[in-house]
Amino acid sequence: MDALPEFALVRATTLEEMIGVRARHPDSRLLGGGTDLVVNIRRGILAPPVLIDVNDVAELRAIRADARSLEIGAAVKLAEVAAHEEVMRHYPVVAQAAGFIAGPTHRNMGTVGGNLCLDTRCLFYNQSEWWRAANHHCLKTTGEVCHVAPKSRGVCFATFSGDLAPALLTLNAEVDLAGPAGKRTIALENLYIGYARQDRPITESDGDGKYYLSLRPGEFVTAVRAGNTAGLRSAYDKVRIRRSIEYPVTGVAVALRRQGDVLADLRVAFTGTNPRPVLLKGTAELCGGPLEGRVFDGLDALVRDQIMSMKTTFTPGHYRRRVAGVLARRLVARLFAG
Amino acid sequence: MSESAAAHTIGAYVPMVDGPDKVSGRAKYTADFLAPGLLAGRIFRSPYSHAEILEVDVSAALRLPGVKAIVTGADCDKTFGVLPIARSEHPLAREKVRYRGEPVAAVAAIDDATAKRALGLIQLKVRELPAYYSSKQAMAAGASAIHAHRANNIERDVLFELGSVEQGFREADLVREASYDCAEVCQNQMEMHAAVAEYDVLRERMTVYASTQVPYYVHLMLAQILDMDMSRIRVIKPHVGGGFGCRTEALNVELIAALLARKAGGSVRLMINREETFITHRGRPQTDIRLKLGMRKDGRITAVECECYQRGGAHSGYGIVTILYSGSMLYAIYDLHNVKYMGKRVLTNTPPCGAFRGHGTVDIRFAFESLLDEMASELKLDPLAVRRANYLTAPTFTDNDLMVNSYGLPQCVDWVEQASGWGARKGKLPKGKGLGFACSHYISGASKPVNWTGEPHATVKIKLDFDGSIVVLSGAADIGQGSSTILVQTVGEVLGLPLSRIRIVTGDSEVVPKDNGSYSSRVTFMVGNAAIDAAQNLKRVLVAAAARKLEANPEEIECLGELYRAGAQDKGLTFNEVVTEALKDSGTITVTGNYSTIPQSHGGKKYRGAAIGGTMGYSYSAQVVEVSVDEDTGVVNVDKVWVAHDCGKALNRLTVEGQVQGSVWMGMGQAMSEETAYHEGLLVTGNMLDYRVPTIEDSPPIEVGIIESNDPHGPFGAKEAGEGSLAAFLPALTNAIADAIGLRFNTLPVTPDRVFAALEKRRRAGNGSAGKANNADPR
Amino acid sequence: MARILELVLNGRRRVDAVPDNLLLLDYLREVVGLTGTKTGCDGGECGACTVLVDDQPRLSCLTLAASVNGQGVDTVESLAQDGRLSAVQRGFHEKLGSQCGYCTPGFIMASAGLLRRNPHPSDQDIRAALGSNICRCTGYVKIIEAVKYAAELHAGGVAP
Repeated sequence: MDALPEFALVRATTLEEMIGVRARHPDSRLLGGGTDLVVNIRRGILAPPVLIDVNDVAELRAIRADARSLEIGAAVKLAEVAAHEEVMRHYPVVAQAAGFIAGPTHRNMGTVGGNLCLDTRCLFYNQSEWWRAANHHCLKTTGEVCHVAPKSRGVCFATFSGDLAPALLTLNAEVDLAGPAGKRTIALENLYIGYARQDRPITESDGDGKYYLSLRPGEFVTAVRAGNTAGLRSAYDKVRIRRSIEYPVTGVAVALRRQGDVLADLRVAFTGTNPRPVLLKGTAELCGGPLEGRVFDGLDALVRDQIMSMKTTFTPGHYRRRVAGVLARRLVARLFAG
Repeated sequence: MSESAAAHTIGAYVPMVDGPDKVSGRAKYTADFLAPGLLAGRIFRSPYSHAEILEVDVSAALRLPGVKAIVTGADCDKTFGVLPIARSEHPLAREKVRYRGEPVAAVAAIDDATAKRALGLIQLKVRELPAYYSSKQAMAAGASAIHAHRANNIERDVLFELGSVEQGFREADLVREASYDCAEVCQNQMEMHAAVAEYDVLRERMTVYASTQVPYYVHLMLAQILDMDMSRIRVIKPHVGGGFGCRTEALNVELIAALLARKAGGSVRLMINREETFITHRGRPQTDIRLKLGMRKDGRITAVECECYQRGGAHSGYGIVTILYSGSMLYAIYDLHNVKYMGKRVLTNTPPCGAFRGHGTVDIRFAFESLLDEMASELKLDPLAVRRANYLTAPTFTDNDLMVNSYGLPQCVDWVEQASGWGARKGKLPKGKGLGFACSHYISGASKPVNWTGEPHATVKIKLDFDGSIVVLSGAADIGQGSSTILVQTVGEVLGLPLSRIRIVTGDSEVVPKDNGSYSSRVTFMVGNAAIDAAQNLKRVLVAAAARKLEANPEEIECLGELYRAGAQDKGLTFNEVVTEALKDSGTITVTGNYSTIPQSHGGKKYRGAAIGGTMGYSYSAQVVEVSVDEDTGVVNVDKVWVAHDCGKALNRLTVEGQVQGSVWMGMGQAMSEETAYHEGLLVTGNMLDYRVPTIEDSPPIEVGIIESNDPHGPFGAKEAGEGSLAAFLPALTNAIADAIGLRFNTLPVTPDRVFAALEKRRRAGNGSAGKANNADPR
Repeated sequence: MARILELVLNGRRRVDAVPDNLLLLDYLREVVGLTGTKTGCDGGECGACTVLVDDQPRLSCLTLAASVNGQGVDTVESLAQDGRLSAVQRGFHEKLGSQCGYCTPGFIMASAGLLRRNPHPSDQDIRAALGSNICRCTGYVKIIEAVKYAAELHAGGVAP
């Protein structure tokens, strides 16, 4: 078996200690479950000089959920989120998304922070060192070309595949960040930068599949928080080729409110399609009336406009994009019907 | 003394004799042999698809402290390969590299980290050549030759016509033709390839621990590659974590480990990772099939015309045999007479293919059973009725001289019809659900072994000594299929002894007789028969001794396993008393049992290669698959499988069920999710995330019906049980999907995107109803 | 960098000096010599290396040895007591949940973890608990039977 390259392990016990190590080693990496990070280290994609094991940091291990709000520490295990009764009751979209990730043993290991910051994926990137060298590397590592879109002029199209992000985006979640420059809280949506469309960046940033997080040097996620909205219905669904040990072909989170026969609020978010998790823009315009053909057509149009799946996985982009829309329609109909 | 009875286990549910070792973690696999001073081996692999080697510079790597030996193509000018007529592969490439990942050099170092660093210091200089990744490209006019001795990159061109297809198609009421494209798949057995080689410098002897299905072939190829006398080589096969065909030939891993050990003058453990195990390959080739069938209104098949292209990869391997099997095994399942087969095995710049479970028969069966189903539907015939209209009558010889003595296919069909509720449920399931049916068959060992030496096909020895334990010595390789258990049961049955008295020793060339190995489902049939022969020979010795002691005639001796007596009134002798008497003659008793196939089973001479396909007994399988299709997303779920397998006689019902379930499920992987895909010859799916073996959450209940046709030549009537049920799953699945949504998939695997695209295409065409199945495989 | 690793391995306290970058899998196999735990893939894709860390199934191929300091680690070698197979081991042996045996230690440990927290699993519980493990031989049918049988044995007093 491939031995890991040498690194120093720090088993942190406090947030302050973590911040200190991050300040000294901005190129360190946080080790939660290792289900993504250690794989990438084994493949020679990453060679961080320092790993900070966060599993004993009590401040990152708390999970609190009730009818009013939700707060989950970054080192909380995915299995814990999936099985948490209050999360299941009040924030089903989050529990469902967590329960859909990889397989049961992976969920025992993987953490919320790790899934929110999951490295973007691509069939030209998630390969061994020998493979990537034989293919002249790629933009996301040390290469000069994005093999997915050789004419991309420096843009990397690796796909974001975390399941929790879309779920939490539909809840308007915020993330708490900490780092050498202090602590701050930002909207979860603003954690992710990167292209939503090939021709137009969604923010002013120049993010892409390579630079997909807006974290500052040494900064990291400590918790994710969301408030509840009375009457909000939410759910997560996902297409994958296998039902376990699998990243999403596409995952869709929907949260909506129904008042009488009127669709009062609608939020839809996707993963597995773009270099970032996409919270669909423009769903507010679909609200205010009954759930009718107009809403679904509008939803389709938004998906067509904002979901851009490239050949970053073995499953064709066309399908991922189309089935994303199908899942969204289905979830909206189901939740609306109650 | 209470009435004794001979022990019987044949036909019972018997857990495997080596099970306790496997469930306790005691079972040792090749990589588990740790020893002080073991060197770590690593392979430097070609990043190029097709290139002339200009220089392999290992000087810098050799200077790295801790590096003990480096071998390159310059260290070995010998070739290896499973077929004596097609040995064109070097363990380390010389002159040319032919696929991305081909071994070019290898390092032995004091530890793995040093070996890995050394690989980074090796320089390979090449001149790149045009590379071909599909059969079509490789065969195109003007393509440069991957191997100099194979014109147009065609490894083997097979053509035969038996009867007249022209005549047959004229007699048909319906003639249909369709094309099929089956993706390349890989065995992906759980144990990654590994070898430990120990070179004894003083005695000039080589010992190799190999995770192989055929220790004998490894032995032969080691001698050839090392240019050593065979007597100086010892091959040990420890526990093996599955094979499914990829280990039926010597692999470069074992040969490279030995080359390194000799050069380093020590012991080398070469463990390759999952990606390298995929690249070592020997899987089922990507296959293009064009099939044309003629059928009468009553379902009788009048003619078969089949064209088959296999993308074989960069070396010969088993290729010639595979392309021949695909033709010959059109026969021996149905009564066919006008058959034309055109097969081409093509060399390409991809990892070499090999013999994957159901060798050569699977993709062809997929095409055949799919088209049968389609034509049945068009003729408004029950798919089962179409099969029933074409049954063979055993005993018989097929037009290509295959000998069929037992034929349980009709019983298989009847069983799945009943068990699945076919008559009441077919065509009556709710929208999106469907039932599909198909059949398949397989050989119980190739009647003519690859290395034809004139020896018996199988030899088993039994040793009996003062302790009264029966020690069975066999070269048959248990790779998890349970061959050791079957041999112990077989010997126990003949001698009437409980299994607790019987031990088995396998897997060490120093001790056990040579065996042709665990491939083509030969072990139960051939080695089982040899074990029966050996046990009968032993029994004769014991009966003679008992007769002497009891002053009776041997014919009067009744053998009850633990008790030998001369008539029911006789107090008799215990087994140990008989053994003591028997040892007086000869001391330690060793007996030999042999088995040879009969010449009538060797296949014919009607075309070149017609011996391929010949066997002593064919197994038969019928399957019903029930699916649900999510028409919104294209996701297909297999709800349930009913499978009936004619294994002649189930020597061990537990392991027969396990083998049949495992084959069906492996067919499901190929049908639904597995595919080795390449980017310009670079394996994209060289990991178990992208090479999608079904998980437990994807896998359906599989109900097994055991059909016992009692083959006249099989051991206790047995035939094979480990391969024949794989192929039927594939067409049964696509037939079920056609039943569920009216769309037919001729391209494998049937992934959700393909189903979705076909549904979308139909929606766009405005043909929403499930009428005649459309052929649609867009991707 | 190296450090002292102190853990309870298969019920016995043990202290070793381990490099920071040593994986738990390599520690078990190559340092301690417990080769029952298997390597089946290049990281996290097959479950053959599953062990229990404080009774929770974990992939030892993605776990650093140093990170289990102070914890209890159980491998397949820990299950048999006084030479007798545990309920899960008997299930896998007697019901043929194991063919080639290579994935077996991982399946057995994941199953033992399941029975420790849920002694009466349904078929669906079993499927859900074993979803991180790949078997290439059985098609899983007999694995499910093996775990159900193990649960019965466990209910009858046999340790899981």
